[in-house]
Order: sequence, then structure tokens, then C-alpha cells
Amino acid sequence: MAAFTDEELKARVQDGYIVESVDEMTEGYRKALVVQLTVQADTELMSAPSYWMAARHAPSTNTQVSAHAIIQDELAHANIAYRLLEDLGESKEQLVYGREPHEFKHPYGFDQPLDNWAELVVANGFFDRAGITLLSDVYQNTSYGPLKRALVKVDMEETFHLRHGEVWMRRLAKAGGEAREMLQRAVDWMFPMTLEWFGLPDDLKRHSGQLDYRLKGLTNDQLRQVWMSSTVPLCEGLGLKVPAHYDEQSEQYVLDYPFPCQYDAEAKHWLFEDGEITWDQVFERWKARGPMNEIYVESVRRSRGTLEGWLN
Amino acid sequence: MREEVFDVFARKERGEPLRHIGYVDAPDAALARVYAWNTYDEERWFEMCVVPRAAIIPVNRTDGPFAANAKGGAA
Ligand SMILES: [Fe+2]
Ligand SMILES: [Fe+2]
Repeated sequence: MAAFTDEELKARVQDGYIVESVDEMTEGYRKALVVQLTVQADTELMSAPSYWMAARHAPSTNTQVSAHAIIQDELAHANIAYRLLEDLGESKEQLVYGREPHEFKHPYGFDQPLDNWAELVVANGFFDRAGITLLSDVYQNTSYGPLKRALVKVDMEETFHLRHGEVWMRRLAKAGGEAREMLQRAVDWMFPMTLEWFGLPDDLKRHSGQLDYRLKGLTNDQLRQVWMSSTVPLCEGLGLKVPAHYDEQSEQYVLDYPFPCQYDAEAKHWLFEDGEITWDQVFERWKARGPMNEIYVESVRRSRGTLEGWLN
Repeated sequence: MREEVFDVFARKERGEPLRHIGYVDAPDAALARVYAWNTYDEERWFEMCVVPRAAIIPVNRTDGPFAANAKGGAA
């Protein structure tokens, strides 16, 4: 039984009140938190097979080790997030093993194949940076105590993933030639992919309650700006072209391409030339899921049925 | 697979308090030790322990994650 009405709880958390257990939540608060944690858990989980299949492109045993250390972290992060969901009355079993692949809530970027070492390290540099951007905002602002504490470990390890990405982007850029071209091609599709990940712009955003319940602090557009404020200077410093720049007058990063726009997943190519599309068209593409969706989901759970039968 | 919750406690260094750092689901204590060590590997812990959640008896609260044993709990 909730101790507060929805309005009381919203007012309390805006004042810094920390919720510690499901007994103190209103149904609205619980539902908003479940949505947020499901996206978080699914994103961590799906990053693992995506990075795992890419790790075979590692150029040495040492780099294999760092790539697999990252994968191990992601699986632990997923486990922690699903465990938090269980405390809210959700079933980890159902979430991981009971859903269709297209029902997972991870971003479209983790439905794409990572086909070479450059794509893996740009994923670390861009996608893990997006993860840090989103999760450190949650860490700083969330009103849910158990999540805040769990994120200490996650943020610490995400920072390592990001460093791995940046160090390798620098190495490939410095090498020049084919290595640099491969890096630029990865940046070309992965930069717009990450920007889209942050979702609807603020002027179109339906009310989600995540800000009212203090489950996060920044809006989608603000988070996009935070991500670009690190990523654009990084790329410019390495001489990599990105379709965004800093505008002195508005003191904001602005995009140099139609946003949002259509993506050809087969060719790994954004159709800038076809101009802007609607967010409904983006949601349609996300809903249809990308080329690796089923392969990634099945790869993390294919042995479940057989082994279960033997063990019980 | 039937699993139960094990709470994980650890301290970084001598002289530091044992802190609740998270939890794992495991079918038994032996696997809970392995899962905890592999999941919470962000530090070189001086000491780590796992406790079955069912063994935690709350003293002053009747709600929250340990509420199942709130009424006196296991004798
Ligand atoms: Fe992660
Ligand atoms: Fe990561």
C-alpha cells in the first residue's frame, strides 16, 4: 500500500525524498521506473552479443581480453538491472526468456551488426558514451535509492569501456590509410545512430512522468547536447568528419543533416539526400527492428531450454 | 531453475565497514559465491560475503526488501 498519493509523491521526490522500496511507490511511479529499467536492462543485455560477435575482429590476444572484459561487464550490468526489476514485482525469467526478440526495448543501434574492429571501438566510443550520458544523469537525479547505489559500479565500468573506445579511435586515426578510412566509415553511420537513440525532441515529447517522478534530470535534447559536447570535439580532434558543429551564437551543437532521417540498414547508410522524415516513421523502423535483432536475442538464450530440462 | 536471492556485502580495505553492494540470484550458496565474485568485480575487495535474503531479519521496519521476515522471522 502506497504511503502517498501520486501528487504527494511527486512533490516529495522533487524535494529530495529517496524511495527505498516498492511499498512506498504509487502505481504510476512503479510503472515509470519499470519502463526505465527495462530499457536499461535490455540495452545492457543486447550490447553483449553485439560486442561479442565483433570481438572476433580483435587484432591480438590482449585486445581480445579487453573486448571480453567489456562484454563480461555488460552482462553483469544487465543482471543487476533485471534484479532491480524483480524487486519491483517483474519477472526476470519472463523478461529475458519469455519475450519475442522484437519486444526487447534496447535501442535500434544494438540491432546492427558490428563488422570490424573499427566498428567495435566506435561503438565503445559512441554507444557507451551515450550509456554514460544517460546513466550518469540517472545517477545524479534518481529518487530511487537502490538504483542510485547500483549505478556506482556501472558508471565506473562504463568509463573504462569509453576509454577503450577513445584510445583505439585515436590509434586508428593516427595510423592513417585504410585504418583511418575504416574508422571514418564507422563514424559515418554510428554518429547519427547514436543521436537518434536519445529519442523524440523536447518540442514533440509526450509527457512521460520520468522527470516528474525524478527518475532522471535532463530532457532528451539536453542529453543529446551533453553527448555531442564530448563526441564532436573528440572527432574533430582526430580529424574525423561528423555532421554536427558548435554554433557560437546559440552556444549549442547543431546538426548538419536532416534530423530525423531514413536509414538503409543493409548498406549502413543514412539517406541524408532524401531529407527529413517524421518521428512516426522512425518509430516504425525501430519497431520493425534491425537486421541482427533475432540473432542477438537467440544467441544469449539458445541453450536455455535444453539445459533446463536436464537440470530439473 | 529455482533460484533465491543472496545479498552481497563487501569492504574495500581493512578498517572499512562492510557495505551492502548488491545482490545475485543463485540456485545455492556455492554458485552465489561465484556469481557475486564475478558480478561485483569493480574493486579488489578485501572481504566479500553473501547472505541468503531469507536469513535477514528486519528489526525496525515491516516494509522493504526484507519484509518477508518482518514478523519475528525464523526463530
Ligand atoms: Fe553497461
Ligand atoms: Fe558499456
